[in-house]
Amino acid sequence: MLRASAVCEKAGVPTTSLVCEGFIGQAAATSIGLGMPTMPVAFVPGHTGAQSKDELRRNILGVTVDRVIDNLTAAPATARETSEPGARDIVFSGGFDAVNRYFYEHEFSDGLPVVPPTREKVAEFLRHTDRDADEVLGVILPDSRAATIWSIAVNGVMAGCRPEYMPILVALVEAMLDPAYGVEHSGNTPGGETLIILNGPIIKELGFNYTQGVLRDGFLPNTSVGRFWRLYIRNVAGFLPHKNDKATFGNTWRVVLAENEDVLNKIGWEPNSVEMGFKNGDNTVTIARYTGGNLVSSVSGSTPEEMMPYLTDAVVKQTSWQIMFTVGMGMGTLRPLILLSPILAETLAKAGWSKHKVKQYFFDHARMTAFHFERQLRDWTLKPIWNLAEEVRAGRIPKIFHESNDPDRMVPIVWKPEDFMIAVSGDPLRTNAYVFAHNGVLAYTVGRRIKLPKDWQPTLGK
Amino acid sequence: MSSTDNDGHYAALWPRSPRQTRLNKLAARLATLEGKTVAQLWDYLFRGDEVFALLEEGLKAKYPGIRFVSWRDIGNTHGSDERAVLAALPKKLKELGVDAAISGMGC
Repeated sequence: MLRASAVCEKAGVPTTSLVCEGFIGQAAATSIGLGMPTMPVAFVPGHTGAQSKDELRRNILGVTVDRVIDNLTAAPATARETSEPGARDIVFSGGFDAVNRYFYEHEFSDGLPVVPPTREKVAEFLRHTDRDADEVLGVILPDSRAATIWSIAVNGVMAGCRPEYMPILVALVEAMLDPAYGVEHSGNTPGGETLIILNGPIIKELGFNYTQGVLRDGFLPNTSVGRFWRLYIRNVAGFLPHKNDKATFGNTWRVVLAENEDVLNKIGWEPNSVEMGFKNGDNTVTIARYTGGNLVSSVSGSTPEEMMPYLTDAVVKQTSWQIMFTVGMGMGTLRPLILLSPILAETLAKAGWSKHKVKQYFFDHARMTAFHFERQLRDWTLKPIWNLAEEVRAGRIPKIFHESNDPDRMVPIVWKPEDFMIAVSGDPLRTNAYVFAHNGVLAYTVGRRIKLPKDWQPTLGK
Repeated sequence: MSSTDNDGHYAALWPRSPRQTRLNKLAARLATLEGKTVAQLWDYLFRGDEVFALLEEGLKAKYPGIRFVSWRDIGNTHGSDERAVLAALPKKLKELGVDAAISGMGC
């Protein structure tokens, strides 16, 4: 909304942005990153979602209209440049506790102690990339800061990463900068958290956990790389809670999910990296943000026919408001992730099921009634304009969403079978799965190949 | 403190990175909204359709000659279409003769 306003202002069209009461602080922080710190906002009392029609009318006519007029006719305050440290400046010198106190007080840390980022430590990280330290990979919203190799190294040090992880960290920031991912939405109110999926020989070379407890902290590479992501989102993208990060509840960072490629190769299923367009054996990262999920415990059965109905039921149950990313805000951008333990994948593969066949089953059977689908969009999530019939007539969504007017017809939760993602990891011999609820277009799934420096010789475990 | 409690000594670097935006000037404001054309930019969220209808009512009561370009004629400024819609916006505003814009909903 503010990005739209900024485009207008740059085009010489004065704007006012309608901002609910709880979002005034976020608007102020975002405006700074857009280079327009005094861009005017029109106050909307409370939250429109919780107001009766009479209350809304009273608030808009009694309060907001006058703010709109002021914003469009009165000159806003003059903005002034603020000064900040330089890219390579030392901002504090002292002992471990004092550095951490300073970093915490200046909102540089996540609340846990960080490794002080010294020149010596950063230099160790830079030795594990061929890239120039000053190279700018891109500019990250909302703060519009430069994503540099240097800043990646600094935050990698802070997160407790080992220098050898640097190629992974660079790939992650490259993925973060992919416009399809939409990093600028990382402070949205659902407050989801990014999951990093790792593929390739680098899993074993750097000692990532890819078996039991794969999503549990306690494994240095999985944990510290996950923490790096959140620190970079905080320090360089600029998502700070109570400012640009408006997560209603939020999550802590997720540890890295490394796939079990031994099992995948054994059963003939392609790893996630191949699904993302890379070659089997490439070192890759895949990122997407998920607002939640749930374990699917004790999947019983020795055949796909016995197992799939339960898994399918779990997929549907993890898809409620998220269908606004199927039809509505996202338009075909919902990509639910189903994480299978190795024994489940092996059982499916033993029966001759490919990954594609599993996805096709989900597409054919993970459905909900059109009535429920539309009710969520129209009545429950405050988007009164959505209507499946109208969207199909306009050619904006696939015809399968309106093959009749029967409100009890079953419609899919994604546009095509390939929208489902399947990963394999976790306890090799436990029959559990996990379904992740995706944040759609606001954190779309993207992947990057990890480029290793010349003379790559990881020294871990040696 | 550091020299006496085995706490070490660290010269810690700035973990942020320089901003790449300079201050941009805001557009000149209007002397009045009377006779002006105001575009409604909506992210299709949080009852913006109702809010814009109420704003139209309130603004027309004070400026009878004000005109509006509906959000229906602009497209969703958020979500899948955001980049395309925003890229096309300056040209569209010019073609539609827009003098000012109201953008919502930040909720």
